[in-house]
Amino acid sequence: MHTFSYVKAKSLKEAGDMLAAHADAKLLAGGMTLIPTMKARLAQPSHLIDIAGIAELSGIDVKNGRLTIGAATRHVEVAKSAVVKKAIPTLAYLASQIGDPQVRNRGTIGGSLANNDPAADYPSAALSLNATIVTNKREIAADDFFQGIFTTALGAGEMIVKIVFPIPAKAAYEKFPHPASGFAMAGSFVSQDGKAVRVAITGAGPGVFRWKDAEAALGKKLAAASVENLNVDATDLNEDMHGTKEYRANLAKVMTKRAVAKLAGTAATSKSSGK
Amino acid sequence: MDQHHHSQLFKVGNAQVSRFEDMRLITGNGKYSSDWNAPDQLHACFLRSDRAHARIVSINYDKVSQVKGVVGVYIGADAQAAGYLRSASFLPPTGKGGMKARVPARPCLAIGKVRFVGDPVAMVIAESHLAAQDACELIDVVYEDLPAIVDPEEALKPGAPQLHDDVPGNCPVEAECGNEAATMEAIAKAAHVTKITVDCTRVTASPMEPRAALIEYKAESDSYVVHTPSQGVNMTRKQFATYSNLGEEKFRVEIQDVGGGFGQRSTVYPEYVSMMMAAKALQRPIKWVSTRTECFLTDTHGRANLITATLALDKNAQFTGMRIDWITDQGAYLSPTGPAGHIRNATTCMNGVYKIPALYGHFKVALTSTGWVAAYRGAGRPDIAYAIERAVDAAALELKMDPADLRRRNYVPLNEYPYKSATGSTIEIADLPGLSAKALSLADWPGFEARRAASAKKGKLRGIGMSAVIEPTGAGTYPRDEIEVSVGADGIVTLHTVSHSQGQGHETSFAMVTANALGIPAERVKVRQGDADRSVTMIGNHSGGSRTMVGAGTVCHIAANKLIDAGKSLAAEDLGVEPSQVNYSKGEFSSPHSKQKVTLAQVAAKKKLSVVGEGTFTSTYPNGCHITEVEIDPETGVTDIASYLSVDDCGHIVSHTIVEGQMHGAVVQGLGQVFGEHIVYDKDTGQMITGSFSDYIMPRAGQLKSIQMEEYTTLSKLGPLGIKGMGESGCTASLPALVNAVCNALGVRHLDMPLTPSKVWATIQQTKAQQAKH
Repeated sequence: MHTFSYVKAKSLKEAGDMLAAHADAKLLAGGMTLIPTMKARLAQPSHLIDIAGIAELSGIDVKNGRLTIGAATRHVEVAKSAVVKKAIPTLAYLASQIGDPQVRNRGTIGGSLANNDPAADYPSAALSLNATIVTNKREIAADDFFQGIFTTALGAGEMIVKIVFPIPAKAAYEKFPHPASGFAMAGSFVSQDGKAVRVAITGAGPGVFRWKDAEAALGKKLAAASVENLNVDATDLNEDMHGTKEYRANLAKVMTKRAVAKLAGTAATSKSSGK
Repeated sequence: MDQHHHSQLFKVGNAQVSRFEDMRLITGNGKYSSDWNAPDQLHACFLRSDRAHARIVSINYDKVSQVKGVVGVYIGADAQAAGYLRSASFLPPTGKGGMKARVPARPCLAIGKVRFVGDPVAMVIAESHLAAQDACELIDVVYEDLPAIVDPEEALKPGAPQLHDDVPGNCPVEAECGNEAATMEAIAKAAHVTKITVDCTRVTASPMEPRAALIEYKAESDSYVVHTPSQGVNMTRKQFATYSNLGEEKFRVEIQDVGGGFGQRSTVYPEYVSMMMAAKALQRPIKWVSTRTECFLTDTHGRANLITATLALDKNAQFTGMRIDWITDQGAYLSPTGPAGHIRNATTCMNGVYKIPALYGHFKVALTSTGWVAAYRGAGRPDIAYAIERAVDAAALELKMDPADLRRRNYVPLNEYPYKSATGSTIEIADLPGLSAKALSLADWPGFEARRAASAKKGKLRGIGMSAVIEPTGAGTYPRDEIEVSVGADGIVTLHTVSHSQGQGHETSFAMVTANALGIPAERVKVRQGDADRSVTMIGNHSGGSRTMVGAGTVCHIAANKLIDAGKSLAAEDLGVEPSQVNYSKGEFSSPHSKQKVTLAQVAAKKKLSVVGEGTFTSTYPNGCHITEVEIDPETGVTDIASYLSVDDCGHIVSHTIVEGQMHGAVVQGLGQVFGEHIVYDKDTGQMITGSFSDYIMPRAGQLKSIQMEEYTTLSKLGPLGIKGMGESGCTASLPALVNAVCNALGVRHLDMPLTPSKVWATIQQTKAQQAKH
């Protein structure tokens, strides 16, 4: 690790000012990606601005059919939150499946979304649920937020404050863990609200994406059989020693089928336990 | 099961013995190499080659002085000046037809050339680890790239890039065994020939403890004290001496706990020898702890053997001959245990568990621009068993025979042991017909088709696989194993050994053997290993090749009996009788001619009661039959292990707890290789693709939910206790059993490891496409 300066921000404004003042500064929330990258000497921030203790970034609550989660909320808090379990149980389930206990005890929802690792779990939930990413400068729709591998709409000096999830009628998440890393090799988050079904695929491609063919078919009939004859376009998917594009396309489809099967039988979100 | 089989020979109170060392280890009170510190120590950091094969044009380290705390930089020229140019090699000096083995130099820091990604180029010594790291980044190395060569078959071809000037054709040696003419004749006359090539893939051990060292120079005696993970202090001292051209007496090795060995900790690595230079020049202790990335790149790898088996069968499906053609990829340099173990162990058991009248083995050693390879849990034993057992299953498939029946027709029967193999080895004792019958019955082999049908109803592909294996264990390289046993005035018995536990539980098993011989509770026996003074005076083997219970473990029994004899002489004076009139039982000396009794403690309180027991042992032959069933999800290619049964002949078992632990670990280590573990290099650049646990697939606890472990024992007569060394045999059996089961489920003749979900899924797609064509 290279040497760096550590500063603890007390407020959102202070964090924003520090970020503006130091061109090579980085925000530190859970540090689950940043710290290992620094230890491998691949990142050399001049300053780490610790935002974990900022009050404006914490809190989980439900209002007007929307679930709001503060950016610095740790995965373990989402996984165990009675509020989240009642509003969108699948989101709590997804959080319980991220990494390992150590990661869940440190990693945050804002950090995961801002990093936009193509194999992360949270981006699929944000995209499928049509969440709004609220930053210190503006509100960004999930459809506009994710822009491919490790890239988001966040600009310089911009930081996520909270995430607002519309509460769907039903939702389910299924992922196929990478046999080495445990990250999603393909994960599918399926949600239904009224007639609209949104399917977000993570892990398989260079970034989270919506599988619109499946959405259309599932909008007509919410059943696993609806996607049986569809295929995820493999052209732009990831390929490496762990799997071909075709294998990842297949996994995306199988995970979608399994997610649909899971939610098809459930009447309301409050009963659609992810387990 | 443990209670059912629990030997009456050993009891510790009424409790099943759990390991004495476990409380210390699991509560964080172990002392591993990085826990050793010396006042005034300096820290080393290594600058490593970032490319696979290149000429070093220049090294400029002028800028390192910018970093506060840097006190020295060492490069290849320093290695040259010190003469630290060749690591030890146990490769026999001659190979096939008298071919002289060509062991390449391995300077402790690269001279002129780098040959794999991770080759150490420079060592920075600084007051802190951080300063040494920062300084390494300021060293400017100019390279002239040379072509990488990562495929061993390509490396052996004419015109391949040459790694070492003194190893033409990248081939240090070719070796052979058996009778080529007789074998080729058997193949020519065969009713059926099965030929199969299997890749026994390159893997790495990934012990929990990373490599580390603290090296201290003692000016008064011009010698070194070394703390580093080791499988045995004597082997470590010998290799230090060879690498540095100094006498073994110049090295004292002091170790307490070692967090996993697997063969990977049997090597004295170039980093340690580099640190000697700095320790002496700067007259300060030097410390280094490797990163996990360095473990992946530079710790010795295992396996990496490409094996072709050609099996000849007559019209009755009797094996009449087998030829083995073996290419062993050794990486850029030869490690000390390097190809020698692979060749020796494969030669010894080239017939497997079968009567095969004609055998011929041909080994080609290849050098490639990759990390070096060494012994790895089994060192050639799992590799040859994997090739044979895959060939047998392929033959059964081709002949439309039950693989269990094909094996049964060919086992060496009990009455033909000791069995003299066609490669010249004498295999002491095994009873595969009896042992495998027990396994087939317990696994309900005949009932498999019903279980396959039940799985098919759930949409799953079920397969069954068996392996029947045997291997040589126990033989050492030192003339004898010694155990020093002494009694304190408090009656506590202390053992000293130079065979080092890397987690095997010697503090328990040695204590049990000794306590049993002395008739005292095992808690009263303390085991000491890695003592610096005794590392210089005592003789004995390192822990490797499943040999420690066969050797040092048996010597505990011998030494304890010698202690009783010595005690009788001393007790005779107290009892006022002749030594021949003294009896010993349960810690007390008595005599029918005396009303008195004296205890071990009382004798020891008066006079020193200490003896050194010794013994010399050759090979024992643990064997077994493992049967496993798998269920494959055709949608994802995920393999679930539905059942795993092992029936093993480990000879006499001292501690069932420890044997079960070894068997669990070995089976899962094999499972790891079968389903995921694989060191992969990019073919063009020679960069390691699997350099972290994000890409290197380790087995997970949930993958094998339970093992049904059963015994079928024949005793070895090699030592008084009947023990057979069994630390590796589970791995030898699990590789072929699991691959056989997956191939059976998929209906394919062969599939190379690792059987990852993506590979299994792709195979299912291919099969579907082929079936659609027909």
